[in-house]
Amino acid sequence: MAEGEFRLRVAYRKGGRLRWLSHLEVIHTLERSIRRAGLSYAITHGFSPHMKAAFGPALPVGTAGENEYLDVWVTRYTSAQETLAALKASTPADMAPFAACYVAEKEPSLTAAITIAAYRCDVAGKESTTREVQAALDSVVSAGSLSVEHKGKTKVFDLARSLPKEVRVTDREDGCSVELTVRMGPQGSLRPELLVREALRAASLSAAVTHTTRTDTLIELDEGVWARPM
Amino acid sequence: MTRRDLWPAVEQLLASVERPARYIDREWAACHDEDAAYRAVLIYPDTYEIGQANQAIAILYGILNALPDTAAERCYLPWLDMSGRMRETGVPLFSLESCTPVADFDLVGITIPYELTYSNILETLDLAGIPLRAEHRTDEHPLVIGGGPSAFNPEPVAPFFDAVLIGEGEEAVGDIVAAHRSAKAEGLSRAQTLARLASVPGVYVPALYEPVLDADGRFLAMQVVEGAPAVVTKRVVRDLDAVRAPVDAIVPFMDVVHDRFGLEVLRGCTRGCRFCQAGMVYRPVRERTADTIVRDVMAGLACTGYDEVSLTSLSTTDHSQLEEVLRRLGRRMQGTGVSISLPSLRVDAFGVEMARLVSAGGKKSGLTFAPEAGTQRMRDVINKNVTEEDLLGSVQRAFEAGWRRVKLYFMIGLPTETDEDIRGIGDLVGKVFRVAREATPPQQRGGLRVAVSVSTFVPKVQTPFQWDEQIGFDEIRRRQSVLRDSMPRKGVELHWHDPEVSFLEGVMARGGREVADAVELAWRNGAVFDAWTERYSLSRWRDAFAETGIDATAIANRERALDEPLPWSHISAGVSARYLMRERERALSGTTTPDCSFDGCTACDACGDLGVDIVLGGASRG
Repeated sequence: MAEGEFRLRVAYRKGGRLRWLSHLEVIHTLERSIRRAGLSYAITHGFSPHMKAAFGPALPVGTAGENEYLDVWVTRYTSAQETLAALKASTPADMAPFAACYVAEKEPSLTAAITIAAYRCDVAGKESTTREVQAALDSVVSAGSLSVEHKGKTKVFDLARSLPKEVRVTDREDGCSVELTVRMGPQGSLRPELLVREALRAASLSAAVTHTTRTDTLIELDEGVWARPM
Repeated sequence: MTRRDLWPAVEQLLASVERPARYIDREWAACHDEDAAYRAVLIYPDTYEIGQANQAIAILYGILNALPDTAAERCYLPWLDMSGRMRETGVPLFSLESCTPVADFDLVGITIPYELTYSNILETLDLAGIPLRAEHRTDEHPLVIGGGPSAFNPEPVAPFFDAVLIGEGEEAVGDIVAAHRSAKAEGLSRAQTLARLASVPGVYVPALYEPVLDADGRFLAMQVVEGAPAVVTKRVVRDLDAVRAPVDAIVPFMDVVHDRFGLEVLRGCTRGCRFCQAGMVYRPVRERTADTIVRDVMAGLACTGYDEVSLTSLSTTDHSQLEEVLRRLGRRMQGTGVSISLPSLRVDAFGVEMARLVSAGGKKSGLTFAPEAGTQRMRDVINKNVTEEDLLGSVQRAFEAGWRRVKLYFMIGLPTETDEDIRGIGDLVGKVFRVAREATPPQQRGGLRVAVSVSTFVPKVQTPFQWDEQIGFDEIRRRQSVLRDSMPRKGVELHWHDPEVSFLEGVMARGGREVADAVELAWRNGAVFDAWTERYSLSRWRDAFAETGIDATAIANRERALDEPLPWSHISAGVSARYLMRERERALSGTTTPDCSFDGCTACDACGDLGVDIVLGGASRG
């Protein structure tokens, strides 16, 4: 860390209509929020100087996030609460930051630290019961692996490794919700709605995934011991 | 009427289309007022990423939303994947802010940006479920009003609009809304409402003007309904500083063209380039003062959070206080990573010096100069007051200052052009390359690039060349090959404009109202997004012209006699026909005309007829 630079970690959400934004669009939007908020952001000293900021793992277009994180380096120390209030006031409501704190420079980067993500996939339609959806998922998971086609390439996920926690299906008003936790790896992460879709297809259930939300992004402190990045 | 919110239906479609951010609204500074008594929707007839940065829409959006009981929303033309899904599922065109069907608004404003968007205007109306032609609309339908750069010959799209605003909208838009609201309050019929709109200065109501053609389909005269003005003269704002700049512009989520905060620093340009429509129709020059510019740039950056500001105009380096502005802004932006950009550069030492000021310490991405023609003779004909010495001197300074890339704009097909003029382009490019090379240290010469972009001249209305022929395909191809043979082989990237596209531009630029039938037919046969290269089909347009009996070649590729009636002469941009004819004569004799902002008045008649003056550095020059 350059002298007089402070690393501020900000938690924000990506929800409502803004779930339709791409990761790059989210980054640009938050960088502009930071400038509007008047933060004393640090500048990189490269050929093309730009704001010194780093973001957590990308969320796909269409997927919402409830606990997303960014780090921004500021040159003036102001209380995290004051900075948070300024940021909130200059960010579109559906991407509002809700927590902020300073973190030590020696902490690993968000992308390196965050390896666990919890998701909720909303499944619509009362024609399939929660129990049927649970059984469908259990059956796919017990098969051990899932191959996924993406942009012409096939990827095979080892589900025992990719899903470090049991998949749980719960009731909700207009269908059910699938809660699952995914381990992210350098070779890419399993997209939860693809697993759920495959389960529904294999069990010939007509229900469809309507919304996917990443409910948490977590750091694995020890095997099975997870914590939020702030 | 209860407001219809289409969002639940729209959201269903988003998972299956590209770039859903085009359709979701909720950007920073978007205005939401769903309960206003009077509601307008401003439409740019191209995709969101093309239209979002349009400054005219930003200005009108701000003005309309500040009017009492009035709300303005935005709408862009959905890309083909989305419009396809909308038609399949019965979702009509919707506004972004409240997701209301466009047809439910009181006023639908559609920009007429340039000739290749005409099919998009029909696509817009059709997706909205509004009858394409004004004559088929009833009291149930919104008023459809056009305006923008191509409104100076509105005829090829005139039947699709209830009214077209000619000229600048800052003051006119309030007058239009007031006239429409009073007409509604009095319960006037649609015809009565249109008659009232025609009494608003600058508003052209096509239904009140009937073109008279001869047996061969040639334009003879415009028959004007009693009470409507014989000539509709453009609206113009006297003092740019008195008009609020849109400093709280909407900040898009997705990447768009001109993705930066833009501030218009001056309007108009009186250099008098004879091919340039903008230079003729946006007269006179009116500058914002340095104080206003600095204030608005700082406010705009604070409101939007952009990391780049562009000082926009037709000729920003002509602003009389530019150096002061750049120095003041440079001081205030130091250490913020915010950069300044200038859209175009004057071909002289001052231009390069200004580029150096804005790039101080940062990257030098490339400079653009527009000599437009290759020989001094040709440049004198078009009144481009730039010499070879100016250009080579500018290039030398730029490369000595560290730039390694330069882009040059030229035109072929200008009136009186000979092969010698075309070869002159190649010679000039060769000289530019050699000067650039010599000014570059030997170890850096590998990165040296000279890009050359050559377009085909399209004569535009309200310019001294409005009577001239546009060269035909075979001649364009022949001249392009002359040019190719004259170009240096090494270190030069050559880009062409597609002659097939220039042809359609030419037909739309000077066509009369009969061309509207072909526009409609071409659209019915699938023309839409013609400005997107992969979508454009000349044969589709040729078929449409043939089927509607329009001799498109006679519109684009024919020289007109000076006394021939012109289908756009009921529209005035302020400059008189007398001036245009005089300028054409001077062009043909190779005589240049000075810039009236700095030398004497050249009697274009814009100031007198419009009741305005040139405004430089805050002072009027009457």
